Amino acid sequence: MLKRLLRYGFGAVLGILVGGASALYLAGLWPGTEPLDFGNIEVDGWRSDFNIGSEAADPYTRTRVARHGLLGLAKSEAVYFTRTTDSSGEPLREACEYRLSGGAMPAEWWSITLYDADSKLPMNEDAALSVDATGVSGNSEDWSALISPKRPQQETYWISSRNAGTFDLTLRLYVPIRALLDAPEDTLKPPVVERLSCEGEAP
Amino acid sequence: MKRWIGPLVAMVVCGIAAHFAVLHFTPGLIMDRTLSALKDRGIAEHAFTTPLRITPQTQAVVRTSPDLFYSLCRYDLSEEGSELSITMAEWPGYQSLSFFDADTNNFATIRGTGEAKNAYLITKRHPVGEDSHKILSPTSRGVVLIRRLAPTQELFDAAKEASVNDSCEWKAG
Repeated sequence: MLKRLLRYGFGAVLGILVGGASALYLAGLWPGTEPLDFGNIEVDGWRSDFNIGSEAADPYTRTRVARHGLLGLAKSEAVYFTRTTDSSGEPLREACEYRLSGGAMPAEWWSITLYDADSKLPMNEDAALSVDATGVSGNSEDWSALISPKRPQQETYWISSRNAGTFDLTLRLYVPIRALLDAPEDTLKPPVVERLSCEGEAP
Repeated sequence: MKRWIGPLVAMVVCGIAAHFAVLHFTPGLIMDRTLSALKDRGIAEHAFTTPLRITPQTQAVVRTSPDLFYSLCRYDLSEEGSELSITMAEWPGYQSLSFFDADTNNFATIRGTGEAKNAYLITKRHPVGEDSHKILSPTSRGVVLIRRLAPTQELFDAAKEASVNDSCEWKAG
């Protein structure tokens, strides 16, 4: 009888461990998983899930967003696109310099912000955490910014990656136009992230 | 081998139950921890707290935008019939009033670019008044959040000045 109970107990505990761990893994909360490689929409390497903030979101998205995008707005008010790699598919990292370039966006206001692997703003005092539509208003149709751990001497727009380690970029589009919600792939021309050089590599 | 069929079934049943239990409860647990963290950081209950500008040093919630002014009000409508009266003061640029329940859902958002907005939050359905929005909160606890577009220090200071007229007032039933 005791052996039988032990077998059932072993099965139950194993099931709970595997079931719990698989939920965390699929929601991107397990250490080592890519929490931001999710979503049902991808436009040129920028990923999004338009169910963020809504009750329609599947349980995996809701769990992931609770950890990495808490207090995000529903799509009628704002949509969020994230990318973790440069245009050649390499992870974004502090040791490299990148050129971020783009044009007008299909929304009333947009911004691009750099976050570290913990989904936090990198701990530096450079006051260069993002670029936004108001900041590039004179060049809104054709703008570019440098992403670098050091303040550039010539660039007008700069996002500091100092102390960011491996990072990602989040594109916020506030009050998006209807066409973006209906057909994001046809409507959004997202910024390009081109790697310029990396520390220790020949330019 | 036959004696392992029962434990195997127990493993599968417990595994499925644990899988969905984790998914079901994790958002609520994270929100609960966030509400506690906000309380510890001085975010008031039933009042908007004047925020500090978002910087790496002041960020309290993940993925906040340094270009926005965020003002938070925690609420608890667990007392029967209680409601929350909210005013988002006038602001010339983009601003919104958004509501999040204890399960992290953004269950309502009101845009108020260039104008003040009022709203009432309840946990039971009430008739909607002519000049007000009565919004049903799916859970008794949650957060109300005002966002104002303020990408510069100058605009942030102006948003802070405008926020003097914001209010988040609890009323007994």
